[in-house]
Amino acid sequence: MILPIVILVVKIVVLIGILMGGFAYTMLLERRLLGFFQLRLGPNRVGPAGLLQPVADGIKMMNKEDLMPTAADPWVFRLAPVVALTAALAVDAVVPFGAPIHLFGLTISLDIANPSVGLLYAFAFSSLGVYGIVLGGWASQNKYSLLGGIRSSAQVISYELAMGLSVMGVLVMTGTANLEKIVQWQGAHHIWLFIPQIIPFLIFFFTAMAETNRTPFDLPEAESELVAGYHTEYSGIRFAMYFIAEYVNMITASGLAVTLFFGGWLGFPFLPPIIWFLLKVGAFLLLFIWVRATLPRFRYDHLMDFGWKVLLPIAFVYFLGTAAFATGVL
Amino acid sequence: MVIGFIILAILALGFALAVVLAKHPVHSALALIGHVVILAIFYLLLRAEFLAAAQVIVYAGAIMVLFLFVVTLLSAGKEDQDARESLPAQRGLAAFLAILGGALLAGVAVRVTGTPPRGPAPTGYGGLLDMGRLLWGPDFPYLAVVALMLLTAALGVMVLNRPDPAAAAVKEVR
Repeated sequence: MILPIVILVVKIVVLIGILMGGFAYTMLLERRLLGFFQLRLGPNRVGPAGLLQPVADGIKMMNKEDLMPTAADPWVFRLAPVVALTAALAVDAVVPFGAPIHLFGLTISLDIANPSVGLLYAFAFSSLGVYGIVLGGWASQNKYSLLGGIRSSAQVISYELAMGLSVMGVLVMTGTANLEKIVQWQGAHHIWLFIPQIIPFLIFFFTAMAETNRTPFDLPEAESELVAGYHTEYSGIRFAMYFIAEYVNMITASGLAVTLFFGGWLGFPFLPPIIWFLLKVGAFLLLFIWVRATLPRFRYDHLMDFGWKVLLPIAFVYFLGTAAFATGVL
Repeated sequence: MVIGFIILAILALGFALAVVLAKHPVHSALALIGHVVILAIFYLLLRAEFLAAAQVIVYAGAIMVLFLFVVTLLSAGKEDQDARESLPAQRGLAAFLAILGGALLAGVAVRVTGTPPRGPAPTGYGGLLDMGRLLWGPDFPYLAVVALMLLTAALGVMVLNRPDPAAAAVKEVR
């Protein structure tokens, strides 16, 4: 009775630890790589090769003054970053990090929960993440923040549909919404789903970039026009929460893409499954950073047109085709 | 189980009251989101996993985002306190109708008692396949009617909001 609860708590603590460490070093990696992309060095002074930079940043963030505008709505202003971070962390509960492991006669699955509708659960929580941004933008009572928040909600509503449709093909082919079973299906059929579903995968990748507010879809925080968008008025630990949420979302999106389209933890047996999973996620994070260093920002109407007139119809048609093939109509 | 239900029920009632009593529309919308999420947890307690996820995705994730989008856009400043009400008796009328509706629902709930389920839920209960079989099997007519209704409503809004062709022509001439 007690043992499962202990295991669960340990798994939750470890997962949050992994995500926080992942956030810290993804950020450092991004800053250093951006530096190299722009022919400079990036932060390399704190510790060897700058490896202690995240620690220094953390101490700085916690000691900064916590400011709140006089006109701000105090409750919502405090609530918003918490919502953003909670939603970001909660999605990872259903992502299987590896095949179930056997330890001291126990079988431990490497996810916190394994609901039959795991994929929908992930979508449900990632759709809650937008509240953090909208509410933060509104509660700051600052026109730049408000514009950032409104842009973000419009963007998320537009891209969520295409994202949902892009994974429907995976659902139809595997016949389950359980993330662990989707990975097992790919193992049993010796095919990673990005091969039959290459276009949905690309759509998923684009929409994931939009949902995580990354360049070229970072209009909610476009610094050249909106100061910093929805987090203009935030400082100290609350700003850090938004920052962590963004990077955790990036890791989550990579994890979902790997699970759905790239065989999750599957790989050649000379490395343990969890290492394969982390390697694939790392490759996706590199891709995210590379895209950021390369592409300029969309113009807002282009972004909306791209979502509604390009991604959504393609995703829909491809999904119908997949359904026709999977059910044997074609 | 029962204790969890009571805690959730109190929370749900609290959020529902907050929707009505909150002074600012954004706070009302927030309380409504809280209420929707609590309802989803109720579904989870009833082993309806798909329904819970769908509830959060559709209501909390899509519809309430639209609500907030509009509310934050309209009420960027603080609320204006002394907005006059155009219907003088609407508060009393609303209270009366709410009590009437609540009494009706309570009456139905007391009168209709289903048989309580016995034993553990069958495997796959409340999952995707189960829901799909219901929605595309015996309940398909209802689904189709609801879809038609929503489509009609969306089209109606577009038709009603269409700019007057005569006015548009005048604008073009200018």
